[in-house]
Amino acid sequence: MKIKSLLIANRGEIVIRIASTAKKLDIKIFGIKTSREPNAYYLRFVDEIIDFSQDQEELPEYLDIERIIEAAKERGIQAIHPGYGFLAESPYFAERCEEEKIIFIGPSASAIYKMGNKTIAKQIATKQKVPLLQGSIGNVRNHSEAIEIADKIGYPVILKAAAGGGGRGMRIVEKESQMERMFRTAASEAEKAFNDSSLFIEKYVKNPRHIEFQIIGDKFGNYIHLGERECSIQRKHQKLIEESPSVAINDRLRSEMGNAAIRIARAVNYFNAGTVEFLLDADKKYYFMEMNTRIQVEHPVTEIVTNTDLIELQIIVAENKKLPVKQDDINIKGWAIECRINAEDVQGGFSPSLGTIRRIAYPRGKNIRIDTGVTDMSVVTPYYDSMIAKLIVYGESRKKVLNSCMNALKKFWISGIKTTIPFCIQVMNHKKFKKGDFNTSFIEKELKKPYYQESTDEMLAAYVAAFDFAADLENDRTAFINFEHGKNISPWVLKKRIRSL
Amino acid sequence: MDIDGKLFKKFLERQETYEHQQKEFAADKQHSKGKLTAKERIGLLFDNDTFDEIDAFSLPASSGGEFGRIVNAYGDGVITGHGKISGRIAFAYAQDFSVMGGSLGSIHAAKIMKIQDMALKMGAPIIGFIDSGGARIQEGVASLAGYAGIFNRNVKSSGVIPQISVIMGPAAGGAVYSPSITDFVFMTNKTSYMFVTGPNVVKEVLNEDVSFEELGGATVHMKNSGIAHFVYEDEENTIRGLKKLLSYLPSNNLENPPLVEWRDTEERVEELLREIVPDDPNKPYDIKEVINLIVDKGTFFEVAEGFAMNIIVAFARLSGKTIGIIANQPKVLAGTLDINSSVKAARFIRFCDSFNIPLLTLEDVPGFMPGIDQEHSGIIRHGAKLLYAYADSTVPKITVILRKSYGGAYCVMNSKNLGGDFNFAWPTAEIAVMGPEGAVSILYRRELLESEDPVKLKKELAIKYRDEIANPYVADEKGYIDEVIDPAQTRRKLITAFEALENKHVNVPSRKHGNIPL
Amino acid sequence: MKLHPRRKSNPDEYIAVSQKDKKYKILNPFSEEIIINSKKTDIKIFESDDGFTYLLYKNKKYLVEITEKSQNKYTVMINGVSYSFTVESPISYMRKKYLDKQQVQCKIEKVNAPMPGKIIELLVEENAEIKEGEPIAILEAMKMQNEISSHVSGRVKKIHVRQNDSVAKGELIIEIER
Repeated sequence: MKIKSLLIANRGEIVIRIASTAKKLDIKIFGIKTSREPNAYYLRFVDEIIDFSQDQEELPEYLDIERIIEAAKERGIQAIHPGYGFLAESPYFAERCEEEKIIFIGPSASAIYKMGNKTIAKQIATKQKVPLLQGSIGNVRNHSEAIEIADKIGYPVILKAAAGGGGRGMRIVEKESQMERMFRTAASEAEKAFNDSSLFIEKYVKNPRHIEFQIIGDKFGNYIHLGERECSIQRKHQKLIEESPSVAINDRLRSEMGNAAIRIARAVNYFNAGTVEFLLDADKKYYFMEMNTRIQVEHPVTEIVTNTDLIELQIIVAENKKLPVKQDDINIKGWAIECRINAEDVQGGFSPSLGTIRRIAYPRGKNIRIDTGVTDMSVVTPYYDSMIAKLIVYGESRKKVLNSCMNALKKFWISGIKTTIPFCIQVMNHKKFKKGDFNTSFIEKELKKPYYQESTDEMLAAYVAAFDFAADLENDRTAFINFEHGKNISPWVLKKRIRSL
Repeated sequence: MDIDGKLFKKFLERQETYEHQQKEFAADKQHSKGKLTAKERIGLLFDNDTFDEIDAFSLPASSGGEFGRIVNAYGDGVITGHGKISGRIAFAYAQDFSVMGGSLGSIHAAKIMKIQDMALKMGAPIIGFIDSGGARIQEGVASLAGYAGIFNRNVKSSGVIPQISVIMGPAAGGAVYSPSITDFVFMTNKTSYMFVTGPNVVKEVLNEDVSFEELGGATVHMKNSGIAHFVYEDEENTIRGLKKLLSYLPSNNLENPPLVEWRDTEERVEELLREIVPDDPNKPYDIKEVINLIVDKGTFFEVAEGFAMNIIVAFARLSGKTIGIIANQPKVLAGTLDINSSVKAARFIRFCDSFNIPLLTLEDVPGFMPGIDQEHSGIIRHGAKLLYAYADSTVPKITVILRKSYGGAYCVMNSKNLGGDFNFAWPTAEIAVMGPEGAVSILYRRELLESEDPVKLKKELAIKYRDEIANPYVADEKGYIDEVIDPAQTRRKLITAFEALENKHVNVPSRKHGNIPL
Repeated sequence: MKLHPRRKSNPDEYIAVSQKDKKYKILNPFSEEIIINSKKTDIKIFESDDGFTYLLYKNKKYLVEITEKSQNKYTVMINGVSYSFTVESPISYMRKKYLDKQQVQCKIEKVNAPMPGKIIELLVEENAEIKEGEPIAILEAMKMQNEISSHVSGRVKKIHVRQNDSVAKGELIIEIER
């Protein structure tokens, strides 16, 4: 069945990304307007706006399942793409779509549920003989149980939200004395983020690489993997720079890990696009971490090196069609790097930088792809995550890409807010990153200063301050104040003014 | 005249002694404390070579006894005179801390009074630099009488000529009351203090340890007491700020404020104004952004920015002409009116009214601040000051209602019937006796009690209330609002409206003075 | 009589002092002969067609923006990195040095909120002894919980927030007495 109308239940750059493919496929696009961002840029890319901005509901608009379903039904919309975040990994939402005969562009509710529950996911991986990290069997009830397990598997350990992802509800515990507090904060964070405070515990591998495999399957049991992405440049479990392929993966390992990923997907009758995340330690041993049952932020790097359109493949699968590509068709060619441009103050510990983007100018070039959700005068609000754009640079070799990426970053101009651009330049400039010698502790251990500066920058800034100060003084000095004008008063006023004194 | 003659020689000798005295005494002592000398301050304030000093050679009165030492220095610790600031005549005095601690003796006081009298007669602004240890103990009652004389003239000049005090060192005891009567007080951070009784006395009487800075530093007076209207980090910037303030003010109460060449267009349409105010009535925003978009670029000059921040009072210009702005600040305490904000705005309005400065009110106010503390501390009495000040003022008055305008606060904030000349509203305005939630709870109490889903019903009723009552159109149709305007056009609207009001005059009944609820 | 205040300072001399007390002495910022720390420096400021302000220095373009400005305090962003300065005249610079010397005796260390958010947990009490690096409070912002830790060792003098308070960036959270 051909999809003719699509509701994108999301915001920001991913709406624009999905809309561009949908447009190509001649699908009518619906978007949601919310009270928090009534003038958002992404709304310019949809054919019809569903206005949720007027009445104030308790639940954030993108999370209000019933409201979204009702809106889709009212307008006879055939399919919903959840993007990433929000409802993308809600089994309940997928189920409700199924019940209402709306095509959910993603896997089945049961696959989402199984992979979303870390405990079940691990059991499946074990069964499929995919290596895993030691840890608790199922959730841990309290901190004393966590201490017991940690004693068995040895510190450091990591506490993770059973329902989680994206770094929320995660805490590394180095020693027993930290356990009680870490357990409490991780649980409350998990409760807030996912409405589920349950935690599990596992052995923490120090300094691993984060390698993930993009897979996609159709409803007829065909699966392919599209190679790996390396996402080791992260801070507090938030990815900041991703690339594909990875310097740490050779063909043999790629096919081994790719097959492991497919085995896991097959075990839950997975269809649509998904990502299986692994940790890779210094000895090139890999461990299954989790599976993300949605399109990922960093999907563009895979699209580029495999020459595919993942959103298109998602839609094809959702239309109950067979995958148009076979594993043999997938060749990894060239190199691609993605820098996440977040509205964050890197100097201030990556804290959110809120405000209005006064102007934004993108680097241009044939090897540059920009996925953005903002434009001049867009407002960065505290309500959503801080990513405003992605810069993707590609080329023949990693070395060439790093170079052009650095140049592109320097031409990426934004005024009004602070962003992670100086951070990305600093990483591109780092010897070990250039060599490919890095892992998830890169930012913490290797990056002495998380932002790029040239030796003369401070002096130039000092000049700008002095220049402006001097200009103000000069303006004060030369401003023409016409005092005579104040004495030149209409007799009508002056006479009465005097009389009434 | 015989240049080599005895008389002329004396003239030169005196001059030399005076210069020598100023150099020796002042510079080192003051500079070592991070302060400028009285002479340097005067030099920075006035246009080059325009200041003429008078009474430079007066000598201190003798103490009349053996008690205490009197330093026989020229000028008696204060420089007085006149000159031009940005080309306009102004009078000034500057106390010189290096001469007997700038203490106020009878001659010192007489010099200040003389310059005060002159400023009043000439209808020109007067500026006082205060850097003084207080009354001169040696001179006893004579110095106290001096203070009283200065206060008396401060009050006589009030509302006739702008009086500005610049605190650049200590101001203790009686010395604090002259600044507090004057229209504006400037302080320099970390080197100026004001208090009625100093830390030593506080320690003696109350056994409390407190530093100069904590008791009466610039930060305290900006944030807590509201006495300091402007605080700057150093003396040069303080004087710059003072000159900037003067550029908004007329010389006296008969003149209009000066016109300043402006680099902005009258027609500027600001589409951003349509978006700054969130639709959600509970969401805060920064009213200063709104002000900056409306007035001539770079002319927004806030007064008392650290005190009662829930209301903004400021000078600004519209097509080069000074206006006074009173604006609720939704970012702080949701912009509610409390005691401090009422008093702050009331005094500002009185100043503007005295000196023919038109008033612009930007309103987004949910009401008066509720609470035991406010009620017991007299929010009624203090809120009445604001109301009185608005109603009593006769300058052109324009109100723009941006969003909330509820209850008593609607009345107070220059509503039509209180005497607003033009009352505009943006389409986002909500004008009513109270907010939707409260109103619905009262009007539909029973229905809500009996309803199965009271939350939902309440929400529906609130929407209905907004549609039928709490909007600008009802008020517009009844004439309480003159026009509902497009936010983007606010600037143009205000310029033409103020132009139309330029020759406004109101006949006030003759009376000695009204009885403002002080 | 006339007072002739001798201008001690050349009106075109400015001293920009960075947060780490680095000093940039800038002469004649408007002229062709800009001298920074006694070296002639060729800098030009431009406004681009698309509304950015940039510097041209040694044939390279630098995006600049004044992000904060109050009196003589400036924060300038160059290529996305911020620098804070106070701009002083020779006289006010002397004053600043004098006042800084006096300030050294101040023993109260303030911990401010690094970002806007909500205090969801306070981990210390007033009068408690705390060590450097010890967490003080948990601040939730952008759905993430962040630990705020003390950068000095000392005694908690005063806590300025309560649990569940919303705080603005830079708002004072606690004072620590060293």
